Amino acid sequence: MKAHARVVAELVDGRTVLRELRSQSPLTLVPHRGKPGLVHLVNSASAPLGGDELDLTLIAGPGAALRIAGVAASLVLPGPKPALSRFTVHVEAAEGSTVEYLPEATVVTQRAHHAAVFTGSLEPSARLIVREMLVLGREGESPGRLTSETTVRRGERPVLSQRLEIDSLIASPAVLAGRRVLATDLRVGYEDPPSAVAGEWCSLVPLAAGGSLATALAHDAVAAQRMIGLLNRSG
Amino acid sequence: MHTVALVLSDSRFPGGGHVHSGGLEEAAARGLVSDIRSLGLFLAGRLRTAGELAAIFAAASVKCHEWSTLDEELDARTPSPAQREASRAQGRATVRAGRRAWPSPVLDSLVQATPRPHHAIVLGALTGIAGGSSADAALTAAYLSVSGPASAAIRLLGLDPFAVNAQVTRLGEAIQAVADRAVSVAGLPPADLPGPGAPGLDLLAEAHVRHHKEEVRLFAS
Repeated sequence: MKAHARVVAELVDGRTVLRELRSQSPLTLVPHRGKPGLVHLVNSASAPLGGDELDLTLIAGPGAALRIAGVAASLVLPGPKPALSRFTVHVEAAEGSTVEYLPEATVVTQRAHHAAVFTGSLEPSARLIVREMLVLGREGESPGRLTSETTVRRGERPVLSQRLEIDSLIASPAVLAGRRVLATDLRVGYEDPPSAVAGEWCSLVPLAAGGSLATALAHDAVAAQRMIGLLNRSG
Repeated sequence: MHTVALVLSDSRFPGGGHVHSGGLEEAAARGLVSDIRSLGLFLAGRLRTAGELAAIFAAASVKCHEWSTLDEELDARTPSPAQREASRAQGRATVRAGRRAWPSPVLDSLVQATPRPHHAIVLGALTGIAGGSSADAALTAAYLSVSGPASAAIRLLGLDPFAVNAQVTRLGEAIQAVADRAVSVAGLPPADLPGPGAPGLDLLAEAHVRHHKEEVRLFAS
């Protein structure tokens, strides 16, 4: 299945208006009534499956505030034939705009082969929040293969460029230390922590070019969420 | 292989590598690495993540001399400030030794653009100046990503030096594979270079810094 969904938000008379809202199954976008700029992302079919190519483009014009919130975890399953599934999210944020991309967890089931790609292109005064929660396998299940790539640039400067590959090395203390859940929370354009804050399995760090990243490694999603919350990143 | 690769990867090269454990000290303190088997797992993960990132930037820096751009791009691929600091401290120390060994206007331009350059970029620059190839630089960086932590494990855990050496040797093919992949992407524009990440190493590095302030630790990273 191939699908491309797209949202374009603009600021009109001091209020964010969704200039364009295009859903394509399974990516269904539901605007929230009463909260301008809030859109729920609903998975309207079982996806991603092996072979799926899903694209989501989020564009915020100058001063607009766009928040995309997931409603349920997505379960990445293998397709009928062995094939890679790919979910690409692209954000363009203009001057003074804010984009928040807050999906629910992605659960990578056994034999699934999935690529998650996030790219962000920000003007220097734009703000961005990106949350990611990767769950490697359901309870007691070994995970399939996953590549997660995040690239964010602000103006000309790179802010964050990370590629995580989940394979046989997840048990390595250098990679995921055998923990099943990785939660991250990236913020750009907000107040950065003056120095790093670290717990045993979580940290909140200022990035070199501005912006900050909270990371937690846990055995379950609840614990990961709690650690991110302890780093004051729950809101 | 060019001799520059041998000199840079020799543990007697005075580039300050001996004070860094690459996260091994923190992993050992927590009991995550306690024997040869767990050391092997740690090293294999480190090689495929931090090692591959270092190999990519070392290989790229042999021919690409856009120092500020390379520096910014490697920063963006190193979210942990503790890891950035460790890389720059080792880079600075390697410059000091390299300046005497291979004086060159290319090295001067690197230090002028970035007074405390990242270690991988210095490795690439010195390899190129001495006449080595991207493959030499990548292999050096990949090897150093595991040889330092391996010798730290001997000191911290009292592991059998012969067994540790055999463990590093067992990674030979993996080290070569990492270097080959790094060379295959080294010619890309710096912005397009891959950024293999390691959340485990990032968390260990930040925790190490915190503990370093509270108690005595043997290694700087």
